[in-house]
Amino acid sequence: MSASASPSSPSAPLLVGEALHKRYGGVHALRGARLAVRAGEVHALVGENGSGKSTLLRILSGQIQADAGTITLDGRPAGFRTPTDALRAGIATVTQETTLAQDLSIAENVFLGHRMAKRGPVIDWRGTRSRALAALQRLGLDVDPSLPVRRLRPDQQQMVEIARALSIDARVLILDEPTSSLTDDEVAALFGLVRKLRREGVATIFVSHRLKEVFDLVDRVTVLRDGRTVAEASIEELDRPKLIHLMVGRALEEIEPPPAQEREGTAALRVRGLTLPRGFAEVDLEVAPGEIVGLAGLVGAGRSELLEALFGLHRPTAGVVEVNGAEVAFKHPRQSIRNGVAFVPADRKLHGLVLEMSVRENLVMASTSRLSRARRPAARRELPIVRSSFDGMHIRAHSSRVPVATLSGGNQQKVVLGKWLATEPRVLMLDEPTRGVDVGAKSEIYRLLFDVAQSGVGILVSSSENPELLTLCDRVIVMFRGRVAAELSRDEATEARIAHFAGGHR
Amino acid sequence: MTAEAPVADAQRQRVLDHAAGVWSASSRYAVVLLLLLGIFAYFSMTQPDFLSQANIENLLTSSSILFVVSIGMTFVVLTGGIDLSVGSLLALSGIVLSTLFNDWGLAAPLAVLLTCLIAALIGGAINGVLIGKVGLSFFVVTLGTLSLYRGIVNIWSDTETTYITSGFVDGIGFGKLAGVPYPVWIMVATYVVGLVVLRWTYFGRDVYAVGGNIAAARLSGINVARTLILVYAIAGLCAGIAGVIQAGRLGAASPLVGESTPLDAAAAVLLGGTSFLGGVGGVTGTAVGVLFIGTLQNGLSIAAVSSFWQQVVTGAILIVAISIDRIQQQGGLRRRRGTGL
Repeated sequence: MSASASPSSPSAPLLVGEALHKRYGGVHALRGARLAVRAGEVHALVGENGSGKSTLLRILSGQIQADAGTITLDGRPAGFRTPTDALRAGIATVTQETTLAQDLSIAENVFLGHRMAKRGPVIDWRGTRSRALAALQRLGLDVDPSLPVRRLRPDQQQMVEIARALSIDARVLILDEPTSSLTDDEVAALFGLVRKLRREGVATIFVSHRLKEVFDLVDRVTVLRDGRTVAEASIEELDRPKLIHLMVGRALEEIEPPPAQEREGTAALRVRGLTLPRGFAEVDLEVAPGEIVGLAGLVGAGRSELLEALFGLHRPTAGVVEVNGAEVAFKHPRQSIRNGVAFVPADRKLHGLVLEMSVRENLVMASTSRLSRARRPAARRELPIVRSSFDGMHIRAHSSRVPVATLSGGNQQKVVLGKWLATEPRVLMLDEPTRGVDVGAKSEIYRLLFDVAQSGVGILVSSSENPELLTLCDRVIVMFRGRVAAELSRDEATEARIAHFAGGHR
Repeated sequence: MTAEAPVADAQRQRVLDHAAGVWSASSRYAVVLLLLLGIFAYFSMTQPDFLSQANIENLLTSSSILFVVSIGMTFVVLTGGIDLSVGSLLALSGIVLSTLFNDWGLAAPLAVLLTCLIAALIGGAINGVLIGKVGLSFFVVTLGTLSLYRGIVNIWSDTETTYITSGFVDGIGFGKLAGVPYPVWIMVATYVVGLVVLRWTYFGRDVYAVGGNIAAARLSGINVARTLILVYAIAGLCAGIAGVIQAGRLGAASPLVGESTPLDAAAAVLLGGTSFLGGVGGVTGTAVGVLFIGTLQNGLSIAAVSSFWQQVVTGAILIVAISIDRIQQQGGLRRRRGTGL
């Protein structure tokens, strides 16, 4: 993407945050961060988890205030005290967590905050709906605006959220990880729109963990590390290794998968004809001990439902599941754990961790769930688990006693992994194992999964990020609308091929 | 934290961790504790009778019923629920005790024991099963049983007070052991058992895990239904014990007792820093909360403030104390919605 595609007149920056500092209790989240965006540019804000990106965006969008530093809009000082102040100044925000009112209609959500069309003192519902429909169609989303948001898939909800931000006619658009739940088509629609807004002079701040998207879309990049701005550069001056080096502060070594080995004996996991209405149908798959098998497909292809059903959270209506050669029908996670099956859910905050509890309590939660509840949690039993998790996974925390909420996303994810590895599983299932995890932690998690597989555990990993599956997996199973569309060996699998089958092509 | 870290280092770290843990736990009720010390000092200086042995005994024994109920309520609140039926169950326990003792002619100790067990059973089997197993809302279920039990109490007792003339039951209300009244001993025992169960058993951890994130707890293999059933059984047990103390104090089973108990207990638990969303808090805070309410009411009574004004003052202080506490903890009201980094 060349910078000449945008009217990049050497204009003065539109929105500038300078020398920003922010403390949360003992944590110094920002220590002199700077971000300057110009009108008509797409500006990436990148950095590892915990580098202060979210804090900086919250300050710019008025959700919190900086302890020190200045914000200027159009060269005039602008300290936003509330999100409403920022909105009035024309700064719209889309966050990774959707903030929609689930039971209100799409139209109401798009125009939330007294912006619905009016006829005199009353709401003009027809006008509101048609304006909402127009806003959705700009994004290529074809749904009835009077439907409640709850009925939409997660990716569609994210698009509604984006439509809401766009409907504000913002001068600055903040997109905080907008693409993590979107399909390729939706990402393309979003990027098309962002490029159009760029031509109209809107400044866009774009945050993504997918560096490919950064290189595809943006004009300039600001890199945050440990709460400081360490670089601000035009995208042409950077390449992928350089950018990662700036983010992490060191170069990452390439991860080489261990050499494939002959696998024989009973499958760790064997599934035949498994069917769950409104989930998936007639799924066959097999995972050998020591093998890493990937599940690819769009969001909504039934990957999550399949893993959940295999863990005993749904009751399939047909089909057979065998673990280590024995037929099983789990009704409850307790049974799955007892039979050596572990499941790392996609959303660690919703399903993976008890955030208020300590790192240690979270680490031992699953492996001690079989013990009598009258027993005393003994350090002798728990400390080895804690120690091996800290050592084996380089969890960065002051102590195992701190609430797990105080850890960065990558470290939280390692705690979830450590919790399940402590159950000594034979089958490890992971849903989106590196969602919201920075590059550094990502490669650590990959290396760990290779080690786990080497020890003879069968791993089934579902991911929306195809490069991740290509790095990790011996085989990739591609799902489309609940069915297995293709099975690709490591040699056969390419990003293009996975995308081809995931899109429903034969 | 490395495997080859010197033992001394590991030990020092453990002590530091522990201290940090205690501090972060106690800071949840630090403000109320300071307020308690403050009003205690104030009443000691302004009311000559306040510090007399008789009054301190009176303060503690009259707090004991709310204290015991509040310990049980703490378990429920830690799971993110609330039990509105504890007051009705307290009254029902009195009637059960009177029936077992007066009508069935059971020995008083046996009748007392059975009463407590029946209360636990009712709490677990009705509130617990409906909330934990069937999955109904705690608010709906306990609001229903609040009315249900109170109705049964009124029908069964015909709204009459029945006397229980038993030396044993009287003793529970007024007797002393080593110069300390029995209700105070019961209160201390309930606190200690509650503390031990919450901090030093896996069940206790389950309570925090279920309140903190019920989905994560379930996925981790924790038996959520059983945890909830036990928690409501504990609330019932505590209501039963409180009902026995109440009967001992009155020498009778009265259908009128416990009307305001659920809300008073909820206030004490809240004051003690236990989060109404569940997952955070504990019985020590609740103990401080109950003693604060008890001391305030006792001191105001001595100062001859009318009971209506006592209600006004208690309510106002409750709101002020909790506001101070929240502002202090979050470093300002604005930050409430921030999630840290």
